[in-house]
Amino acid sequence: MSYQEYLAARDTVTTIGQPVISVIFIFSLALGIIAIYHMLSNDSRAFRLASQLREIDTALLVIGFIIIAWFHLRIYQTIELVYPPELANYMASTMGTSTTPSRFVVPLWIETEKLYFWTLCLSIFLAVTNYRYDFIRTKITALFSSAMNIMLAAFGILTYYTSNPFREPLPGLHLEITGWYQAASVGDPNVLYATLYQLYFRIIYFYNSEYMWTHPPMLFIAYASLVVTFVGCVFMLFRREKIFDHISYSHAKVGYLLLTVGMLIGYPWAVVAWEGKDWWWDPKINGSIMMWVLYSAYLHTRIYLKRHNMWRATAILGITCFLSLVFTYLLTYIAPGIHAITQ
Amino acid sequence: MRPEMRMKHKTYDFYLMILTAAVLAIIGLVCLYGIGYYTYTNGTMPGWTKTALYGQYIDSMNQLIYPFVVLLLVALGLCIPKRIVPRQSLLVSGIGILTITLLIALMTEIGTSLAFLLAISIVVQAAVMVLTILGRGGLTYEREGYFVQTGSSMLHLGTVIFVFDFVSMRTSELHLGVFWVATALITVGTVLSFYPEEAGCIARLLRSGGRSS
Repeated sequence: MSYQEYLAARDTVTTIGQPVISVIFIFSLALGIIAIYHMLSNDSRAFRLASQLREIDTALLVIGFIIIAWFHLRIYQTIELVYPPELANYMASTMGTSTTPSRFVVPLWIETEKLYFWTLCLSIFLAVTNYRYDFIRTKITALFSSAMNIMLAAFGILTYYTSNPFREPLPGLHLEITGWYQAASVGDPNVLYATLYQLYFRIIYFYNSEYMWTHPPMLFIAYASLVVTFVGCVFMLFRREKIFDHISYSHAKVGYLLLTVGMLIGYPWAVVAWEGKDWWWDPKINGSIMMWVLYSAYLHTRIYLKRHNMWRATAILGITCFLSLVFTYLLTYIAPGIHAITQ
Repeated sequence: MRPEMRMKHKTYDFYLMILTAAVLAIIGLVCLYGIGYYTYTNGTMPGWTKTALYGQYIDSMNQLIYPFVVLLLVALGLCIPKRIVPRQSLLVSGIGILTITLLIALMTEIGTSLAFLLAISIVVQAAVMVLTILGRGGLTYEREGYFVQTGSSMLHLGTVIFVFDFVSMRTSELHLGVFWVATALITVGTVLSFYPEEAGCIARLLRSGGRSS
């Protein structure tokens, strides 16, 4: 197993993954167009076609995710860091551990894979929701289903253009791995030590961290669930149908639970991994608290849905919550701080 | 309970909920201010987090948040024994506790007074949780059902422990241990509150040793 095999796996991911995501893009585009057409014409054939397109889109997203998982497995199998004994002993004694991590156990939702994972989760939520509810039964519920299809289509298109995980798989990690092999080939122990020292902390606190395997996926599953809540709240604004509140609330419960637990378990990780760093009241943390308190307010107002004006107020609050969610997600890219992608 | 009493009860809870939602929204606005301040200051003064200004920013955010946390604790009924004592006594006990909190804040600092309020809340909520689990005490809840009430009491206790841990124990060695206790209570409490029927099914299944009835 070697760097060459890792490179071959990376090429394979691009070779197989690019056509898959291109087809996802085409199907997402078609899904969006057909769903919009259905919303305008209320043609039941368009509804059925959109349902089929959504199912194919979901299947393709699952296939793409399997390719990503395979690539991560190959990274684990092919890349092995070799520590000089004195550095290994030093790191182990500094960290109070008996072993030094030599392999990458890379989570499946980092770098450009984040939005892809979110889209995949959304497609699964839509599949489950469509299975549970007979949306074609009434005109308004069929419109609701089409609105959710439009959301999925938007996510699919957005993923293709802004966060394609197959065009250049894991660019940040690739740079780190390449940097390690270059340092090893130079033969300068100082360069090798510096590279390994940096990688050691990246592996411990990021790639192989159990928190990276729990904190982000919980949040992304929550985000996907809350997309459905958002669509439900938009429909609540226009129609007082119990089903929209039911769907919104049932997805808000899943989303809120995962959001709460996901955010909480990120804290002990931050305390250890960011010790001595300036992360307190960082924009992303502010945004996450803002999003969480708004969803808490939504769940509180929903208790009194039958009271005068509360139906509309709850719907508006639900929509505001989702806007804060999107804003919080984007903060990683647009605001400074420890969570900023540029750092 | 007579219908007019029930109506009054519902109206009281409704306005308490409106207050809770408003306080939560204000906390959201404080966070939005924090995002704006951090981003703006970082733009005009790169590396400002290494200066004393960052410490001032953290202090100012804490100072801004604390009063609303106090208000939230009051609105949620976390610091007053709303489930134990009759509603008429709530106002007296609430005002009493808040007055002491205010006095402590004036004599010392807002952090100490908040710690006092939270300590009271923990005692009250722990008592509520124990009584709820044991099914005693004639507690008043907005929703019916053993699991939803147990979940609610766990969630409330977890929340006050969580806030207390952050306000008063951040530098303590027990900080993370207490954090995990709060996290466990919040998680189990949320699950029980959101899915009481499913929890009931699991409990019945466990009680019957896996035999379907």
